[in-house]
Amino acid sequence: MDTHIVELVNVTRDTAWLPWAVQYFFLIGLSVGSFLLSLRHYVFARGDVRLARLALLGALVCGLPAPVALLSDLHQPGRFYHFYLFFTPNSWMSWGAFFIPAYVTGLLVYAWLALRPDFAARAAAGGRLAALWRLLAYGGFESLGARRLAAGITTVAALLVALYTGMEVEVVRARALWHTPFLPPQFLLTALAGAVGLALVFNRSFTGYSVETEARLNRLLLWLQCAVIALGLGWFALASSGLNATHARALAEVADSPRWQLTAVWAALAAVAPVALIVWRPVGSGWITGLIALHSAWMIRWTVFIGGQDIPKTGAGFYDYHLPLGHDGLLGLLGTAGLWLFLLIVIASFVVPPRHDRAAH
Amino acid sequence: MLQNRRDFLRGLVSISAGAIALAFDTPAQADTQAARTAPSTHRWGMVVDVAKCIGCQACTVACIHENAVPEDNFRTIVSTYEVHEGERTDAYMLARLCNHCEKPACIPVCPVGATFQRADGVVLVDGERCVGCAYCVQACPYDARFINPVTNKADKCTFCAHRLDAGLLPACVETCVGGARIFGDLRDPQSSVRRLLAEHQGEIKVLKPEQGTVPQVFYLGLDPRFAGKVDGEAALWRPSHQEA
Repeated sequence: MDTHIVELVNVTRDTAWLPWAVQYFFLIGLSVGSFLLSLRHYVFARGDVRLARLALLGALVCGLPAPVALLSDLHQPGRFYHFYLFFTPNSWMSWGAFFIPAYVTGLLVYAWLALRPDFAARAAAGGRLAALWRLLAYGGFESLGARRLAAGITTVAALLVALYTGMEVEVVRARALWHTPFLPPQFLLTALAGAVGLALVFNRSFTGYSVETEARLNRLLLWLQCAVIALGLGWFALASSGLNATHARALAEVADSPRWQLTAVWAALAAVAPVALIVWRPVGSGWITGLIALHSAWMIRWTVFIGGQDIPKTGAGFYDYHLPLGHDGLLGLLGTAGLWLFLLIVIASFVVPPRHDRAAH
Repeated sequence: MLQNRRDFLRGLVSISAGAIALAFDTPAQADTQAARTAPSTHRWGMVVDVAKCIGCQACTVACIHENAVPEDNFRTIVSTYEVHEGERTDAYMLARLCNHCEKPACIPVCPVGATFQRADGVVLVDGERCVGCAYCVQACPYDARFINPVTNKADKCTFCAHRLDAGLLPACVETCVGGARIFGDLRDPQSSVRRLLAEHQGEIKVLKPEQGTVPQVFYLGLDPRFAGKVDGEAALWRPSHQEA
């Protein structure tokens, strides 16, 4: 018999993980991706110097504001120290409270060791800031061993951050859309693609645009996007085939929604477009491929977190999320972007060498 | 001088220790610590007799008043549905609340151990410890938790633990007009909940059994179409701030 159910009275739950969480997962992902991208040159002394420098810049400017966004997502931010007073080993979030400071501290030490010789060179060149450069250089030795050690420790911390950020969401069985082993690798892959995108944008933004760097980054982005598409198709195949009940339920919950259909088409186009562009123009397309990769990395996190919380666990239909204009919504997004921009301006002056030095690098 | 300095340092240590003790060992925390460890011979549970519920929402209102639940939020509610089957239209009422599960999904995710289960099965939030991360809100399969906009902490049904400790029934049970909410000790073979469970062994159901949380709120006469996420048209009601 044909049945139609109309919900007359039920609870509507507000979104509990706010846009701050999206910003955190986006920024920490980009930072981890950028850090990993910088390793080839700074650890193995191979590869593209400009690429490594831009990646290091990306790792720093995204890694430093990320914990601020995370703290802001807490409804009791002043109690952050409870994470350390009441460690709970069976919670991924509890582990994350230790992985984040380990990663950020390691990143700062690694960056300093990587940039120390630069600071010494700038101190030697003189000028008004020579004293500051001398102080930062602290001798300015090219300490490759120490740098490798710092890189090793930070790599472990970075991988733990990537692991916990994925697992923290994956273990939530109550949300079928989140409870999939595809999620942690997809978060990592889109973070890596976003990091490459950020380096592509930086390559065009800072003077000294390098065609070789762009071609190299575009090549890497091509493979990463292919992996992102493959993983997405894998999830869809498992969900649509009905082989796994949770995946099938996740698809069934959203498949009839025009909003989700639009999101799926949009995400698919955003994944395929950079691939087509790179194949068509491996050089000269860096601006657009970079921006699309960044957009995709942010969009998947917004869709998973905000879109995922729009699906009621018991009620019918969807909750309606409206982006608040205050600090829990638009102002929060703009605030994080503002902090990111401020850090970019400050840190770029340390990481990107001035024009007269560039020939030496 | 040396003596003074030593006194000063000794005083500083005492003040610091006092401040730490005040910050981390408040009377409220001592109470929760006692609640975490107190032994109990009971295991509280509830049976909802769906056929007896008339959807009057007296339980919803009683809960709001008893627990000062802020506007637009609910610790319990009677979800009400209109079911059209061919020419026939029926109403369906389903009381929802925290299921005080035997294997609660909210406890292992809590990063600071603020959510805990008492020996009598009641799942509680330690408001002194909660950081408002909302991880438990995500983990609960029943949408039973929310972030209280007044306290900025996780909030949920407590089975009116304060009333239980005083020998009273939860407010929603006390006020239920049709006697649809039956509450009692699952460990007591003579309790009404145990007798109901025994009498209707084959008919008793729980919400979302596939989640493996082993709920201790049981339903008599539960239509399987309402046991999980309901496939239907969404409610028109929205929180007042969303309407604005």
